[in-house]
Amino acid sequence: MFIRKSIIAATGLFLCLFLVVHLSANCILILPEETARTLYNSYSTTLRESPLIKIIAYVLYLSIMLHIIYALLITRSNKKAKPRGYHVNRTKDNSSWISQNMGFLGITILLFLIVHLTNFWARIKLGIGENVGLDNNGHKDVYEVTYALFQNVYVVLFYTVLMVPLGMHLNHGLKSALMTLGFYHKKGLRLLAKLSLIYASIIAIGFGVIPLIVFFK
Amino acid sequence: MKATFKIWRQEGGDAEGQFRLYDVDGLTEDMSFLEALDHLNEQLVQRNENVIAFEYDCREGICGQCGVFINGRAHGPNDAMTTCQVHMRSFKDGELIVVEPWRAAAFPIIKDLVVDRSALDRIIEHGGYISAKTGTAPEANAILIAKDKADKAMDAAACIGCGACVASCKNASAALFTSAKINHLNNLPQGKQEASKRVLEMTRQMELEGFGSCTFTGACEVECPEGISIINIAEMNASRIKAKWLE
Repeated sequence: MFIRKSIIAATGLFLCLFLVVHLSANCILILPEETARTLYNSYSTTLRESPLIKIIAYVLYLSIMLHIIYALLITRSNKKAKPRGYHVNRTKDNSSWISQNMGFLGITILLFLIVHLTNFWARIKLGIGENVGLDNNGHKDVYEVTYALFQNVYVVLFYTVLMVPLGMHLNHGLKSALMTLGFYHKKGLRLLAKLSLIYASIIAIGFGVIPLIVFFK
Repeated sequence: MKATFKIWRQEGGDAEGQFRLYDVDGLTEDMSFLEALDHLNEQLVQRNENVIAFEYDCREGICGQCGVFINGRAHGPNDAMTTCQVHMRSFKDGELIVVEPWRAAAFPIIKDLVVDRSALDRIIEHGGYISAKTGTAPEANAILIAKDKADKAMDAAACIGCGACVASCKNASAALFTSAKINHLNNLPQGKQEASKRVLEMTRQMELEGFGSCTFTGACEVECPEGISIINIAEMNASRIKAKWLE
C-alpha cells in the first residue's frame, strides 16, 4: 500500500513540474499576435521533433495513467477500511474540504484533461478531426488552433473555471506528496504549506487567465 | 438540564444496529458526559431495559478507553480532550447529542459503543518495544539523551492508543498511532538499534490489520487528545523509505 502511495506522490510531483513548463510555454500566447504565432508554432515544432521530449512525453503519459490507476486502487482499499461512515461527521472542524475531496477534484481534472486532449493533442499530434494548417514558416499553425478555440465563450469559461479544482488539488497534493515521500522538517513543512498555496495559485490563475486574454485579444 | 441522546445500539458484532432516541432529564452542567450516560443507564435499569454498553477506565483523561464519536467529532466537541473530560456544559440545554462508536473495519463493534481496538495492540506486538536490556532507573538516567531528542520522543510517547485518529480519518488510517509509537522509540538511543526492523514490521502489521492509507487530511492531529502531530507520519514515511530501499 505504501508503494502505491509513493507512486501517486512521485507521479504527482512530476506532473507538478510539467505544469510549470506547460504554463511557461502558454505565456507566449499573451504576446502580440504575430510574435506569438511565430514563437508558439516554432516552439511546438521543436517539441514535436525533439527525441528527448518524445521520451519525456511517454514518461508524462505513464505518470498520468499511474497516478489515476493507483489513486483508484488506493481509494478502493480505503473504502474497504472504512465501510461505514458516521451519521453526523463534522469534518470541517478538523480538516480542509480540499483534503477530504481529493478524489472528486481529481475526477473533475480528468474530465478537463479528456476535453483538453481532444481539443489539442488528438488534433495536432494524432491528426484526428479538422486538418491543422501551416504558418508562413511552414510550421503547423498550433497558434491558430488555440486562437480559434478560444473565440468560443463557453470553451473559454470551461478552460477558466476548471482551473479552480486544479488549483485546489495542487494545493493539497504538493505538500501531501512531499510528506508521503518522507519530508518531515518542522519549519520546512510550514514553509512548504505556504509554497504549495503560492504554487497552486500561480498555476490555476495562470492557466485560467490566458484563455480570457486570448478571447479579448 | 435536559438532553436528547441519539445513541447507536447494536447487540453484537454480527447484529444489525440502529440509532435509538433517549430523552434524559435531571442532568446538570457539571456532570461529565460519561456521568450523563450513567444517569441514562440508571433510568434504563429502572425501566428494565438493556443498558448502553460504553467503555471507560480512568475517567481522568489518561487512558483513552472512553473514546466515542459525539456530534460528529471524535471525543466530542472540544479539541485535545478525551470523551471522559467532556462535560455537559459543552452542550446546550435540550440539545440533540448523537453518539456513535468508532467506525473502522479494523475496529469491529463488540456491543453498542464498544469497539475492539486490539488491532492497535497487535501493531505494538510487532516492534513497539525495546528487546535490549536497558537496566534499572539510575542506569537509564546515565544514558545521555539530547533535550530536543528527549522532547520529541516524549511528545510521540504521549499517545494513549485511544483510536481517535483512526476514527476521525476518512480512510480509517492508523498512521498517526503507528508513527507515534515508532518515533517514540526510534528517537531514543535504546530504540535506535532496532529502528529499521521496527518501522518495517509495525507498518506491515498496520496494513495487514486493514487500516487505510494516510492522505494527510490532518483530521487525526486535531482530534488526538494528546495533540500528536502528523509530522510524525512524514517522519515514519522517511524511516520506511530508508529501511526499505536505502539499507
